Amino acid sequence: MRRFFACCAAAMDRVSVFTGQACASLLFACIALSALEVVMRYGFDHPTSWSIEVTMALCATAWVLSVGYVTERNRHISITMLEILVGPKLWRRFRLIQILVSIGAVTGLILAIWSPAMRVIARPEYSGTALNSIQPSYLKVVLLAGCVLYVAQLFANLIRWFQGTEKEDGGGH
Amino acid sequence: ATYTVQTSFNAGDFSTQYLTEHWLPKIAEMTGGRVEIALTPNGSVVPAKETPHAVGLGVIDGDWTSVNYFSGLEPAFAILGDLISGYDTPQQMAGFCENGPGEAVWQKALDEVSDGEAHLVGCAPYSREALPARVPIRTFDDLKGKKIRAPEGLASAVFQAAGASPVSIPFSEVYGALEKGIVDAADASAYVNNASTGLNDVARYPLYPGIHSMPSMQLSFNREKWEDLSEADRKALRDWFYMAMADLTRVVAEQDAALAAKDAAAGKVEVIDWAQADRDRLRDVARIEWEKFAAKGPLAKEALDANLAYMKQIGLLK
Amino acid sequence: MGIEIITILIVLGLLALMAIGIPLGVTTLTVSLVTAVLYFGERAGFFIVSANVTEVLHKYELIAVPFFVFMANVLERSGIAHTLFESMAILGGRFRGSVAVQTTVVAVVLAAMSGIMGGEIVMLGLIALPQMLRLGYDRKMSIGIICAAGALATLIPPSVVLIVYGLAAQVSITKLFAASAVPGLLLASLFIAYVLVRVRLNPSLAPIYDIPETGLPFVQRLRFLNGAILPAVLIMAVLGVIYSGVATVTEAAAIGAVGSLVVAAVRGELSWTMARDAMRRTALTVGSIIWLVLGAVSLIGIYNRIGGGDFLRGMLTSLDIAPIWVIVVMMAIVMVLGTFLEWIAILFITVPIFAPVVQDLGYDPVWFGVLFAMNIQIYYLSPPFGPACFFLKSVAPKDVELQEIFAAVMPFIALQAIGLLLVLAFPDIALWLPSLVE
Ligand code: NA
Ligand code: NA
Repeated sequence: MRRFFACCAAAMDRVSVFTGQACASLLFACIALSALEVVMRYGFDHPTSWSIEVTMALCATAWVLSVGYVTERNRHISITMLEILVGPKLWRRFRLIQILVSIGAVTGLILAIWSPAMRVIARPEYSGTALNSIQPSYLKVVLLAGCVLYVAQLFANLIRWFQGTEKEDGGGH
Repeated sequence: ATYTVQTSFNAGDFSTQYLTEHWLPKIAEMTGGRVEIALTPNGSVVPAKETPHAVGLGVIDGDWTSVNYFSGLEPAFAILGDLISGYDTPQQMAGFCENGPGEAVWQKALDEVSDGEAHLVGCAPYSREALPARVPIRTFDDLKGKKIRAPEGLASAVFQAAGASPVSIPFSEVYGALEKGIVDAADASAYVNNASTGLNDVARYPLYPGIHSMPSMQLSFNREKWEDLSEADRKALRDWFYMAMADLTRVVAEQDAALAAKDAAAGKVEVIDWAQADRDRLRDVARIEWEKFAAKGPLAKEALDANLAYMKQIGLLK
Repeated sequence: MGIEIITILIVLGLLALMAIGIPLGVTTLTVSLVTAVLYFGERAGFFIVSANVTEVLHKYELIAVPFFVFMANVLERSGIAHTLFESMAILGGRFRGSVAVQTTVVAVVLAAMSGIMGGEIVMLGLIALPQMLRLGYDRKMSIGIICAAGALATLIPPSVVLIVYGLAAQVSITKLFAASAVPGLLLASLFIAYVLVRVRLNPSLAPIYDIPETGLPFVQRLRFLNGAILPAVLIMAVLGVIYSGVATVTEAAAIGAVGSLVVAAVRGELSWTMARDAMRRTALTVGSIIWLVLGAVSLIGIYNRIGGGDFLRGMLTSLDIAPIWVIVVMMAIVMVLGTFLEWIAILFITVPIFAPVVQDLGYDPVWFGVLFAMNIQIYYLSPPFGPACFFLKSVAPKDVELQEIFAAVMPFIALQAIGLLLVLAFPDIALWLPSLVE
């Protein structure tokens, strides 16, 4: 059983790292698109109608889906002043509380965005612009996906906590 | 009781302050203190496009919103919220709601985006937007080939059909784009607002009164809360809304006209006022685009038919 | 239950969760979810949280943040800071305290290229600190100047702090960028003046440092300026584009990001691995920032709805003191929060409440934004949560203790406070440049 859980955690870690690094490439694309838009607008006098909406969708994807990677590396910003004060033993208990509260809060967020996300899947919401893309619907769904990824990685971290195989704190400042 | 109503006006806007000072006390007076309204600015509780649901769920008690925000949720709102180049004056458009078939179809569209939990109290525009332009666009024919910033779907389509080329750039870019000639004209705001953001300094041929946009707002109430009101209070609320909007329209129009006259006299700008014939020609072109837009859904079609019927009734269309 | 009690409960809840090390984004999210559900019930409460959280992803200006972070990551990996430092050493000539002055000048130039604080301190810590220690500069002065000057990264534009402030207070980011330039230079001048005065009074703090080229006449030394050419071009590309209004801040940031890659390529330092690592680090940094923003926005939405914003605004405006003292009170609150909170958390807690009051009192929110960013300078240094000090600790020699760093930055915190008071007393220091840009 212990090995099974260890494998689950390791597999989840790999998924998170892979997604996170893929998100990094998306950010590359965003930079390229934005720079291109400036060239098109001022170089060729020909602004595009899609650049902003596409860039925002890509950037939001990268932003939200990198959460697994961030969680795997323990890079969420937190205040760790008490760590020195309370000593390593008590801090380990705090670590457990941190993971459990995070799971609770993100699950709450999933519940909150679930029905809006389902609604736009059933009845898409458009941007109402000239392009009239489904960007608003997409952003809701991608946020839901990000939250699910977040919770899954938190469970992997929870397994590591129980098995004493936690990774070093990434010092997320 | 105090009802929290979120508006799409921003905290510092003239409209917010004017309504707060002059009209919020009046509704309390009209209902003997039974209805008091607390107006909260744009985005203070939920983003503008989420207000119908927020009203439906009772997160806010009502909204006072420019319904263009909802056009991505339900295409009918693009037509109801801003029938590009449709009405010539805000009074005509308000009449569509107050005396015409407007409220009925509007309520249907609102039901669609609020799960039937929001009640429409009234709907009306408050200003006709000016169109700042850096080159003279004196007639309908002058539109040909002009690059016009128009990010909204219907406005973009109408300008395209009139021979212009619509450009989609963010509002924060409008000033720079007009200054550098990236666009010839830009969909912006009322004359006074354009003057205060400096657009008229870089675009010296403003079209005023405008030729395209007249954003319309709704006052809606949470259905349950609405039904708890007495018949008299409901009537008072509706009357109050139309009076407030008419007054706001008057004040904004006076400000616009005074400033435009002053700017023109000082030689700062050349204010261009289209002849009725040109306005009618643009309306004819726009009508084809309305029809195309209305094909997006049954409610959009119904909204347009109601508008067309009313326009015929008041003689705007044949 | 009155709003006073709810406010106290919310604050206590936030503090308790934060204290046990729960990520700040989760902390604010938890408190907002609990408040929303208790106040509005499950359906309506969930709705209000989801509506506000989703809206964050629609903020176009926020996209500038990853771009600026990437730019800083690329620059950090290039040798541009090192070259700049050497050029400045030769250009500056020989005088007592020259290396500290030169460090500040390099920090200002780096700040004009970078919008985040961490990378800049790391660069200076790796280049300037060993040099100063080797030459026998006073340890405390060396450490202090690096932390303080490195923190300028978010006061001198571009600045991620100002971008997020602009979003929260709904003011023009371009104007903020214009307004913060002079106050940034003012702080840098204060630092330089302080160093020069101290080494004059006590020459043992800074031995005179001699390299052969400094003996050349100034005109001949000018040819060593080439180390500053690439940075100058990059600064022109980003700030020039923003100030001239040619492109949005987001697009300028994209130009800067591409520009930093070009600079690295020109210097022969660009490789696929380098770009990839910079991008991965960017993903990690911004991936943690977004949850902070999501949680904070969610909390503010709820708190406004239950009347908290009005309550706090009412409290501030009912203070029986002159308007300028209200601003002073706000600054004091930010300063206190700055000792233990993350800047984004401080910003989202205070700005949505303060900004409308500032406007009601008749002040310019752009000016207030500059004051806020200057206050964030203090936050970077002030113990016990002083991020600039942590960053320096991570690259400083092993024997440099955190306590020593905190002691070293104290005089510089005083200088930052003086700068803040100057801009508070003379708003034109900030508002003069934006009035020209208009
Ligand atoms: Na900077
Ligand atoms: Na601090």
